[in-house]
Amino acid sequence: MATKVKNEPFVAYSESAIRNNLSIVEYCRTSVAAVSGCTAGVLGLTGLYGALFFIVAVTGFWFMLLGKAGIDSWKKFFISRKSLLINGIFGHFFTYILCWTFIYGMVHVY
Amino acid sequence: MPATFIHRSILTVGFLSLFHAAYSAAQHRSYLRLNDLDFTHLPLDIFIQTLISLFIIMYGVLQVAGDFKEIKASADLEDRTWETYRNIPSFYTFSHRGGKCSQLASKSGLEEIE
Repeated sequence: MATKVKNEPFVAYSESAIRNNLSIVEYCRTSVAAVSGCTAGVLGLTGLYGALFFIVAVTGFWFMLLGKAGIDSWKKFFISRKSLLINGIFGHFFTYILCWTFIYGMVHVY
Repeated sequence: MPATFIHRSILTVGFLSLFHAAYSAAQHRSYLRLNDLDFTHLPLDIFIQTLISLFIIMYGVLQVAGDFKEIKASADLEDRTWETYRNIPSFYTFSHRGGKCSQLASKSGLEEIE
């Protein structure tokens, strides 16, 4: 591990560009959490199926994100692609649950 | 590629389709209630429409949100030329002899013409 780090050349990153990219990703992921919550509500998922659907939706969005950045060229835009999937996933999960229960109540209960 | 009208309309279509699917699901639910049936699963067409509209909205949001910038600090320096660096606005001089000379020149030119 240490040798691997040693061999890599130092790269200067532009902070404003990183912040711009991460804010775009954050915006998209919040929207995706809300919209996938609405979808789960419409589908009438209950219990663990809803949680599984959230995981599927977020992973699907992650692949779309990598597809937009370019399968090979995502390193030009992000430092780590794992953090794009993992960062703040519990916060988004609560957004998801909010929309899920709301739309489930609107469509299936009333 | 910045967000265009097409991407915004894709997003709108996705939301409309999701709303339509939700309305259909609500109607299906009221149909079941009126006929005293139990809810087992949604009809397949509503299910598919909901999933497809989710993916349409995901795509639309991704395109509307904006473009990524390259995070390397040298990325936007690479396509500049030497002329850009030699251009120093603080050293611009506007009140130089050129104005006077051209005034004289034009005056003498006018006199010659007259």
